[in-house]
Amino acid sequence: MTGLPFGEWLSQNQADVIFRVQQHFLISIYCVALAAGVGLTLALLTYRFEALANLNIGIIAVAFTIPSVAMIGLVYSVTGNELVTMISVVALYGLLPITRNAIVGLQAADPAVIDAAKGMGVGAVRMLWQIRLPIAWPVILAGLRVSTQLTVGIVAVGAFVADYGLGILGFNALNNLGSVNTGNEALACVIFVAAVALVFDAVFVVVRRFTTPRGARV
Amino acid sequence: MSAATTEPSTDLQDELEGTGGGARPSTGSSIFAVRDLGLPLTVAVVLAALYFYIQDRELDNIEVNLLNVDTLIRFTIEHIYLSFTIAVLVILIAVPLGVLVTRPRTKRVAPLVLAFANFGQAAPSLGLIALVGLFYTGFWPVVAVITAYAILSVLRNTIAGLQQVDRGVLDAAKGMGMSPAAVLLRVELPLAVPIIGAGARTALILAVATVPLGSFLGAGGLGQNLFAAIKTDRAVGILGIAVIIACLALLLDWFAGILQRWATPRGIR
Repeated sequence: MTGLPFGEWLSQNQADVIFRVQQHFLISIYCVALAAGVGLTLALLTYRFEALANLNIGIIAVAFTIPSVAMIGLVYSVTGNELVTMISVVALYGLLPITRNAIVGLQAADPAVIDAAKGMGVGAVRMLWQIRLPIAWPVILAGLRVSTQLTVGIVAVGAFVADYGLGILGFNALNNLGSVNTGNEALACVIFVAAVALVFDAVFVVVRRFTTPRGARV
Repeated sequence: MSAATTEPSTDLQDELEGTGGGARPSTGSSIFAVRDLGLPLTVAVVLAALYFYIQDRELDNIEVNLLNVDTLIRFTIEHIYLSFTIAVLVILIAVPLGVLVTRPRTKRVAPLVLAFANFGQAAPSLGLIALVGLFYTGFWPVVAVITAYAILSVLRNTIAGLQQVDRGVLDAAKGMGMSPAAVLLRVELPLAVPIIGAGARTALILAVATVPLGSFLGAGGLGQNLFAAIKTDRAVGILGIAVIIACLALLLDWFAGILQRWATPRGIR
């Protein structure tokens, strides 16, 4: 492991590393947004029907057992497109926590609360928007947070087919073990991926603090 | 946590606990039920379809090498061997550690141990393997990294499993004159098996999924073929190997689920 000291390597490759950090951030955000859109829709469509909700969770759970490396390879061999593969696979893995938490959260409203709202003449739309969603929000948010953490990790692994994000540093290092600067690349991969995950986590802590209805705070 | 698929999760670890499609507690008391045949049959159909699909195609030399049946079988066995070695090591390390941090005398170190294990999991496995690869390569270094990486799932579940044992049951056991060691071995641990088992399955799945990266360090397994197929840009190769890895993960999880049921005391099955 010869080569430059880490600090020096970093300042020489500053532009590239910053670019990759940005890419990693953006792709993670796209994927979580996609997963959130699909997952919340699925949850809203199925939460009322126990069997459908379980089926929904069950199917996504089986997909979750499949290693991300295999899933990425599979989708890539079929689509042949790097970006499509990356975003669709990562979003797929991000789906499970979001969908499951949203379903559980939406089902969680106390029947007495629902009855009280009905008695007050609250309609279906307002029931969802003003009663169920606020009650489910902390749980949904927790699902989004887990999904984001997963996403950051899988985007890194996805670099083996798609040259996006920080994972490429890790794969460069693995492909050239023993040559100059692989140590720096591996170290940069570990540090910056962890940093991206931490930043997302911090964002979620702040969002949770400011968006949780006061009564539902835990 | 045994009902992992229906409980909301609040962090990544909880999430990983829910990996197995069959992680829900079984309702029947038998170890093996007819519906357990569903998964292996599906996998068999998928693999047969894959076989005929590949048979039908004109393969070039590289593809023939990538998809050579004998090599694939050898790599699959390596993959299973690596994954099980990791899972067994994880259990051997994490369960005693979990027991240790739940004993009254050593309770204080629990947050420390968990913080350490959490820290290990925050780093990306890809980067960790690359870092280790700078110094060591081969079977055992890869086993060591992935074991360290997967310990948290079993450790947390061991702690949770031991803590959820009813205090009344423990008192009853003590009242019967059982020694602390007997209470642990004959009451606490057996009652915690479903939860510890869920953690062990998570560790196994994590191992199967991470072992391909270990092929860069010469640890063997199906990752060798997968990454070779990607480097040579052979879509058929990628497809075939990816499907095999996916089927392997599903089968191992299925098998681990049956093992878990077998290890669970009949009364709480």
